[in-house]
Amino acid sequence: MTDAKKQQGDRLSEATLIERAKRGDAEAFEALYNLHKRRVYSLCLRMTANTAAAEDLTQEAFLQLFRKIGTFRGESAFSTWLHRMAVNVVLMQLRKKGLPVVPLDETMEGEEEAPRKEPGAEDPRLAGSIDRMQLQQSIAALPPGYRMIFLLHDVEGYEHNEIAEMVGCSIGNSKSQLHKARMKLRELLKTSRAEKATRP
Amino acid sequence: MTCEEFERVLPELEGGHNTEQEAHLKSCSACSGLVSDLNAISQQARLLQGSEEPSPWVWNSIELALRQDGLIHQSSRERARALAPLLSWKLRWLVPLAAVFLVAFGVLIRQRGTVQPPVSVATETGSIQPTETVAMASEDQQLLNTVAARMPSMRAAYESNLLAVNAYIRDAEQSAHSNPNDEVAQQYLMSAYEQKAMVYEMALDRSLP
Repeated sequence: MTDAKKQQGDRLSEATLIERAKRGDAEAFEALYNLHKRRVYSLCLRMTANTAAAEDLTQEAFLQLFRKIGTFRGESAFSTWLHRMAVNVVLMQLRKKGLPVVPLDETMEGEEEAPRKEPGAEDPRLAGSIDRMQLQQSIAALPPGYRMIFLLHDVEGYEHNEIAEMVGCSIGNSKSQLHKARMKLRELLKTSRAEKATRP
Repeated sequence: MTCEEFERVLPELEGGHNTEQEAHLKSCSACSGLVSDLNAISQQARLLQGSEEPSPWVWNSIELALRQDGLIHQSSRERARALAPLLSWKLRWLVPLAAVFLVAFGVLIRQRGTVQPPVSVATETGSIQPTETVAMASEDQQLLNTVAARMPSMRAAYESNLLAVNAYIRDAEQSAHSNPNDEVAQQYLMSAYEQKAMVYEMALDRSLP
């Protein structure tokens, strides 16, 4: 079976599950949950760095979604709808804690200045040497606004227009924040690698 | 193009680079190293997608909340399953009652020596062979033969179960045919079939070595 046909089959299966869930089928709800739980939970976990908080947010996101499933008309992909819900839930949590979220204006420096590359300076390349654990730790060290955009784009694979809609910023802002996030991660990973090299 | 100019447009360069940018990358190892690093970070990040799993209690909590909200309704299968325990108590009592009845007749046979049990006789192997058995379907016989081959001591118990559940199915079928619009009669019939399926499942599971 080709990838396209498999994707179409998956979408039809999901559409069937959604219709069954609308009629109150418990198994359909559970199947939808199992299809999407990892991505939602991973996003929440990387934003909160706390398993208990991530599980609470995951539960909240799914409950909000399932309570509104009767209104889902299929205009957008179900996963996008779900992730939008998850992002909203996470953003509300950040705001409750008084943490900065993504600045609406791309010209505002709502977070620390992104590291600038010295013109002409040459660093050893990271390619081929990025440790998964170090990357996860570096992502956790990012400011929340950078982290959200980076997770949605580079980890979850959303386009900037989708991210802009989810988060409530402009496409330009989304691109700018993503670039700053990557530059910051580059700096953190190089620092981490240098520290590792100097350890006895 | 200078390095500063290149870095200024870098956030916009997702789809690729134009000729000028390509030329700068070929000539500037620092900028090409930067692009290479940022791409490597992006590619490695994609591997992190959906790599964590929440604990099972998350779904349990969601399901509980949905049931409390009334958003989860019982399917017909769940209703039949809910009925099954209610109806299966009848079957559960049939088997031990049948066993007590047979043992009592066995005792009477030994004591009086003349009374023939109307339902069963004890065989040489000690298993109970019903004399008034209704002819069993071939698949029931095959199941009993399978059980007998794996655990002979269990054959008699499953034969009793099958007799009882077949009688239950006959009654339920008669009732459903007589009352085709009666939903309860239809559910009883579904439950009877499920009971038989359970007997098969138990027989095959428990007789496995």
